Amino acid sequence: MFNTKKTIVAASIAALFTGSAFAMSGNSGSNTETGEKIDGKYAANYAEIIKNADGKYLDKAVIEAVLGADAAHGRDGLVGKLDPANPYSFEVDDSIDGGNHGNAQCKIPKAFTEVHESVAANYHNDSTFVARGFGTPIAEAALEKWDIVVDGDGKGLPDPSVGMTIEEGAKVYVQFCGMCHGEFGEGAKGYLPLAVEEDLVTSDFTDPAPMKAVGNYWPYAVTLFDYIRRTMPFWTPNAPYIGDAGYMGMTGYILQSNYIVMDDEGTELEDDTFFNSEVLMKMNKYMPNQGNFFCDHRPVIHNERCMTNCPDDQVGGNGSGDPTQYRQARKLPDGTPQYNVPQRMHEDKPGVGHAGM
Amino acid sequence: MTDKIEEKVALQTEDSRNQGRRAFLKGSAAVAGGVMFTQAANATGSAGFDAKKAVAPYAGKAELTDVLADNASRKTLGFGVRKYPYGMPSPFEKEVQRRTLEWLTPDSMASITMSPIHQLHGIITPNGLHFERFHGGVPTINPDDHRLVIHGLVERPLIFTMDDLKRFPSVSRIHFVECPANGALEWKGIQLNSVQWTHGMMSCVEYTGVRLSDLLKEAGIKPEGKWIIPEGADASGMARSLPLELAMDDCFIAYAQNGEALRREQGYPIRLVVPGCEANMWVKYLRRIMVHDVPMQHREETSKYTELMPDGTAQRFSWYMEANSVITYPSPDFKMQGPGKYYVRGLAWSGRGKVAHVDISIDGGRNWKEAHFTSPVLDKAWTRFEFEWDWDGSEAFLMSRVTDETGYVQPPMPQMRNLEGTNNVYHRTAMVTWRIHAWEDGKNGGLVENVQY
Repeated sequence: MFNTKKTIVAASIAALFTGSAFAMSGNSGSNTETGEKIDGKYAANYAEIIKNADGKYLDKAVIEAVLGADAAHGRDGLVGKLDPANPYSFEVDDSIDGGNHGNAQCKIPKAFTEVHESVAANYHNDSTFVARGFGTPIAEAALEKWDIVVDGDGKGLPDPSVGMTIEEGAKVYVQFCGMCHGEFGEGAKGYLPLAVEEDLVTSDFTDPAPMKAVGNYWPYAVTLFDYIRRTMPFWTPNAPYIGDAGYMGMTGYILQSNYIVMDDEGTELEDDTFFNSEVLMKMNKYMPNQGNFFCDHRPVIHNERCMTNCPDDQVGGNGSGDPTQYRQARKLPDGTPQYNVPQRMHEDKPGVGHAGM
Repeated sequence: MTDKIEEKVALQTEDSRNQGRRAFLKGSAAVAGGVMFTQAANATGSAGFDAKKAVAPYAGKAELTDVLADNASRKTLGFGVRKYPYGMPSPFEKEVQRRTLEWLTPDSMASITMSPIHQLHGIITPNGLHFERFHGGVPTINPDDHRLVIHGLVERPLIFTMDDLKRFPSVSRIHFVECPANGALEWKGIQLNSVQWTHGMMSCVEYTGVRLSDLLKEAGIKPEGKWIIPEGADASGMARSLPLELAMDDCFIAYAQNGEALRREQGYPIRLVVPGCEANMWVKYLRRIMVHDVPMQHREETSKYTELMPDGTAQRFSWYMEANSVITYPSPDFKMQGPGKYYVRGLAWSGRGKVAHVDISIDGGRNWKEAHFTSPVLDKAWTRFEFEWDWDGSEAFLMSRVTDETGYVQPPMPQMRNLEGTNNVYHRTAMVTWRIHAWEDGKNGGLVENVQY
């Protein structure tokens, strides 16, 4: 049996609170017997708290007992708690600084995995495993043709001797990419633009979704080379007649179109710059949006399971508690609330809420 | 005598027919029958049946009683065995289809279809109705020519044929598989009135395959190996980075789906199964697993499948699918058949384990009552719930709310939007609301409408 959990028993809410290591004081969620907090961030005895709550590690009371009453567990609640040792943190050391860092990692929080017995058994101390001997040993050298992974550190990039000038790269780009992505990366025929200057922060509810492109969104430049070589041109990916040099040239042209710099002085690519893996790795540290990614911290909402007369903010009506204050889809021309999907399929596209696939 | 009966039938059907026809236009003969029964129950109290008002043969309600004369299926032979060596659904089920919105993507090779979840029953999705999501079209791979390689930071790089893989001990498990963009159209409000569009980017099937941990242990992971990078053999070369803790937990490599080989649309001959996590990680046409020390930062885990927050920051490596639920009947794909008893049905699931409770509200979230489960309650699988509801015909706001075994309670939409904004695209897992139009609401009476707060 794999994925065995210690949390099979679905205990009632009442059982959760009787005999647990912590005590609740009303609905406020504050607690008085949570034990010692490490650096004021999380309870030292978090494992015990979770265990005593029948493994309900996402229960509101449990979260508050471990992280403190201020842990709404939204991002605001977590500021100051982004310690990799925090049992609810997905972060590892180098993903926290928020600046130009190396290949950021995230992890599964300890609170999530410590209720799984199978991980430890499989990975850390599986003394019962006996190799079956199925499959055939293979030399890494046999995988040359499949060797297309470039990781966030740039491992897997071609030798620096492979490349071309930005001007040459532009020609390759126009020939193989321009018809769908636009000659300057502005997009075409519904395919994604690669270079747009758009603010990712939209204030108005009805603003269209911002277009996420290389310069304003992508955290790593190396991803671009990996992805283009792996999947493009769309109709004939990983084309030998483009080759690593051609893929490197396209990458350089797209980075130039996005005004990515390669040093603290803000040096941009010139048309005669020979673009290779070394230049790419320099630019990998200057992707403008790189510091704006953070590890998943969901769930960010922790509600009680309210059953009767629930508070207004849990009821329809955008906080008013009046369920008749709702938003609707656009009505049909005759005033009928849109009902039948086929009627809707030939209308104009809504054009919000998604920004390409 | 016959005349008298016909007269009574005519009187009795006069008012019920108005409603009956209305329902009949939308539904089937069975629907009209249901309305009549409701009427009879109202007229005669709890007994609910009045023999004097029963439909007479060949009179009054021809559309209901004509078939009693014996129809063609009784008078002629049907087709013989092996007419369809691979069986097909009845032609009368031809409207039950995967569907797509053509304006979502510029071509069909990198697009998505949604499962008709309002037309499914139980917790298993038939293979032909499983949702599709392609990044580079569907390859047709000869399994004799397919290999799986495990290499990188391992003691013994290995290459497996399909026969090799099937020699390993097998596991069969039922899991949901959900695109993290399921519900994406609803971040800024209501776009479409159909549960196929709002929640159809998911399916739930029984997979059979080989434990990933067995294969990784067979190759022997070196201590510096912390991530795996699975890669597909399709045109997109789909790849993602999975932490080893996840890979060694309950992942497996599936070669079968609902008792037969995987369909090409779902990764034939093999795919990765990562229970409870984003379907994008379930790499199809799996050709190799590279054990690595760092994540890859692939386009599908940086540019895509990351969630943009209102302050312009973005959340990455959002592996788990949150607990979620939806009422599939009644839903905007149906119309109410008149006041009376309804068995509200739907699906609940959680990427973090089993479903613990599903509660139903008919007043937009003020008061809740617990539904019961009509299916097995399985780990990281759809769970089917049902709730008996006496609809009095007035306007109602129907919602479902799941609580999973971790204690997580599904939030309402405004709460999620306030924290995560509207440009998030992925992981929109808040509750949805079906507004039931009052029965007396003119031509819209009984309409089920997708509304949002």
